[in-house]
Amino acid sequence: MTSLDTTQGLERDDARRAVQGGAAPRRFGAWYVAEHRLLAMKGYAGDALFQSLGNPLIYLFALGVGLASLVPQGVGGVTYLQFVAPALMATAAMTVAANETSYPILSGFKWNPIFFGINASPIAPGQIVSGMFIQIALRALVTVAIYFGVIVLFGAITSPLGGLAILVATLTGMAIGTVIASYTSTIVDDKGQMAMLQRFGITPLFLFSGTFFPLEQLPILLQPIGWVSPLWHGTELGRVLTYGHVEPLWLSVTHVGYLAGLVVVGLWATRRHFARRLNK
Amino acid sequence: MTAATAPSRTPARGALYAGNTRAVIARGLLATRSTNYLVVLSGFFEPVFYLLSLGIGFGALVGSVQTSTGQEVPYAAFIAPALLAVSAMNGAVYDSTWNVFFKLNHSKLYQGMLTTSLGPLDVALGEIFLALLRGAMYAVGFMVVMQVFGLNLAWTALLALPAVLLIAFGFASIGMAITSYMKTFQQIEWVTFIMLPMFLFSATFYPITVYPEPIQWLIQALPLWHGVELVRGLTTGALSGMMLVHIGYFLVMIAIGIVFTTNRLRALFLK
Repeated sequence: MTSLDTTQGLERDDARRAVQGGAAPRRFGAWYVAEHRLLAMKGYAGDALFQSLGNPLIYLFALGVGLASLVPQGVGGVTYLQFVAPALMATAAMTVAANETSYPILSGFKWNPIFFGINASPIAPGQIVSGMFIQIALRALVTVAIYFGVIVLFGAITSPLGGLAILVATLTGMAIGTVIASYTSTIVDDKGQMAMLQRFGITPLFLFSGTFFPLEQLPILLQPIGWVSPLWHGTELGRVLTYGHVEPLWLSVTHVGYLAGLVVVGLWATRRHFARRLNK
Repeated sequence: MTAATAPSRTPARGALYAGNTRAVIARGLLATRSTNYLVVLSGFFEPVFYLLSLGIGFGALVGSVQTSTGQEVPYAAFIAPALLAVSAMNGAVYDSTWNVFFKLNHSKLYQGMLTTSLGPLDVALGEIFLALLRGAMYAVGFMVVMQVFGLNLAWTALLALPAVLLIAFGFASIGMAITSYMKTFQQIEWVTFIMLPMFLFSATFYPITVYPEPIQWLIQALPLWHGVELVRGLTTGALSGMMLVHIGYFLVMIAIGIVFTTNRLRALFLK
């Protein structure tokens, strides 16, 4: 910085203006990145919206009407649709977060290295990560809110606290997304890790997190998958909010704490990996 | 007819098919060596996870279900054959859309092949054979899992293997035909999007009778329903005349797919 002060005349003026021009990005860099990413979504906004609306309709119809016909007695005192709805919301957030933090991150370092481009500006690696997650959180929030609206139309929300489930589902998505990002930001060569992540990460989470049936229905050996799964914690909490599922208070607190803890750890690790890789 | 006529406008059969499909297959097998075979093998686990989750977990809530032939079977035995048919569809469609699209438009593999003596039918058949080989691998693995869990209820379950290959053949040939018309990767995502309701609604996880009649007709017009019913009939041992209809459906699908794919490859590369 001292060398800038000693430059003379025009150069010094340019340098001063350059430093000044960088002040705002240095401070609000995360929002700049978020803005860029939101604008970039324009290219596929129509498809994204269509899928955000189409997916819940298909799933609620298939599960709420179809699978529900096999369990006319309902689950735990509520209809099958009520039981499965909060799980579908949390799953939708997970899907959005997982999609945004897998190939796009790999691509941002490798095929379309935009992270390096942004890093060449006054915006710091940590801000790139924060900006990315602001955009992902917004997209997850909108997706989940649409899901919630469809579920309300199906009549599956019976508690006045139901709306809070939108935030819980978004938090669930963020917990999973930040953890995935901390992993994908370390990948240098594409050797099919994304396919493996989907098959041995996302799909088992979807199937073994007490989403379609209470976790206790599984053999005890498979139940621990649910306990460590953010999706299980998010879904159970969603059930408490949307239809008043009864569970001890300490368990609800654990759900929130676990999800928030994962977000903090995932963000911290992702920022570290980004900084290490971009400032090499 | 004189001997020295001008070359006919439509290429003769020899231009379409050189009888050398095995060259395409050999190249495909050779190329597999350089891919991550763990990723390929991992495809086997997806239907197994679904079977464990829904068959055991959800099945505990449900008990038994009635098949379309009126038989009461345990829930796991109801969905296992459906998962087998679904994985045949998924594998075939994935191979014939994403993989073929890449080879067609990016690596220009087919263009290269067609500059040799190979014809478009050699290429189409070779690619489909490779997809079927992979499908057969998964299917054999899954059938072993079904046997271990006691979900093959009759000896006719053995016939499910050729049935799965027939289903995969049908989807692969149609998939290739559709892919040859595609211009961008995004268009392929629409295929995935159409497959989701087909996957969920084709009597895969619950009997088709839960729907009103017009919707049932719509589902019965789609290929996956025929596949699920065919495989389920074989693994539960409930043979019926309808099976011939299911088989016929796929035979027609295969014929249409091959004709279209071959013509498209010819139009694209052998002008």
